[in-house]
Amino acid sequence: MFAVAAVGILVSMTLALARAFLGPTVYDRILAANTFGTKTVVLLAAIGFLTGRPDWIDLSLIYALINFIGTIAALKLFEFGTLAHTRGRDRE
Amino acid sequence: MTVLVLDLLSWAAILGGLFFMLTGTVGVLRMPDLFTRLHAAGITDTAGAGLLIAGMCLQAGSGLLVLRLLLVYGFLFFTSPIAAHALARAGLAGGAEPVGPSRRRGPGPRQGAR
Amino acid sequence: METAIDVTLLALLGLTGIALLRVYNLVTAAMLLAIYSLLCASLFTTLDAVDVAFTEAAVGAGVSTVLLLGTLALVGREEKRPLKRQALPLIMVVVTGAALVYGIADIPPFGAPDNPAQQHVAPVYLQESEAATGIPNVVTSVLTSYRGYDTLGEVTVIFTAAVGVLLLLATGRGRGRGPDDG
Repeated sequence: MFAVAAVGILVSMTLALARAFLGPTVYDRILAANTFGTKTVVLLAAIGFLTGRPDWIDLSLIYALINFIGTIAALKLFEFGTLAHTRGRDRE
Repeated sequence: MTVLVLDLLSWAAILGGLFFMLTGTVGVLRMPDLFTRLHAAGITDTAGAGLLIAGMCLQAGSGLLVLRLLLVYGFLFFTSPIAAHALARAGLAGGAEPVGPSRRRGPGPRQGAR
Repeated sequence: METAIDVTLLALLGLTGIALLRVYNLVTAAMLLAIYSLLCASLFTTLDAVDVAFTEAAVGAGVSTVLLLGTLALVGREEKRPLKRQALPLIMVVVTGAALVYGIADIPPFGAPDNPAQQHVAPVYLQESEAATGIPNVVTSVLTSYRGYDTLGEVTVIFTAAVGVLLLLATGRGRGRGPDDG
């Protein structure tokens, strides 16, 4: 059961990676990285069940948080031009 | 008997989750512009991951494990729409154009800028 | 089954590496690096190195992405293209890679119980650490008890580095909101 899940998630990871390679805009790549992170989270949980060590869910938990931080940092850079300002766009 | 029912239920949930995950990712690959791709990616994060994690919950056995799985899904459930919203906002501000009848340049499919 | 997962992850890792070499937009490179370290961490997990996978996820996918993007905010987002292709780096990389692949032949089999690494002090830790320290997880007991001062030093170094990076990145906010700000 979990083997099927792992294979399916790996296939969709490959597809998301293709979108990250193709682009064309930077936002597409950020989107691809974000969905790739989600798939990694689920893949790790599936591998944990597959190998009989479901305690690896903790790892998924960390990834679910980490992935969000990276995405938000990238988007903040693009919207404000810097990571430090909160209203950089109309102050430059 | 109960085990069989649980197995059937989690097979159904996992296969359903895989279906949504694969269709969502195919959508991310095939859709014409950023915003439609975001729409497809949202299906992956909510329906796909949600059903897969529900299927795992049915097989988990211990309550603590179910709690942690639900925490994972909880984080995804809250962070994914926020990331999608921020991405759409940043994309619109940064010049990614939606495909379709444009207010400025007339109709016709067009790839995003840059 | 696990071998198939390992091979797939490794293939995706290789593809990501090649794609990283071919992009010139640095933000794209940062996002590909985030994907790269997610793949790395998945591989570490399937190889049973869960503690390394934790570190790779937190440092590689989380902190490094933020630091890279913070740097890009200061230095610009495009890499200069090279004027001409150089042969020497390629030759060096190929030679080094060939030497490493040659070295694989002498590595003892992965995870075998009679490997030298498993014979030296590992049995002592495995048998005595729980009674000696009261911590059920051997990795945790080694990190926090047997080499506790070492770990304390590491944490101090990382904390200092984090404070330094925060001071460097937080330009503007600490200076108040005066008219000459930014």
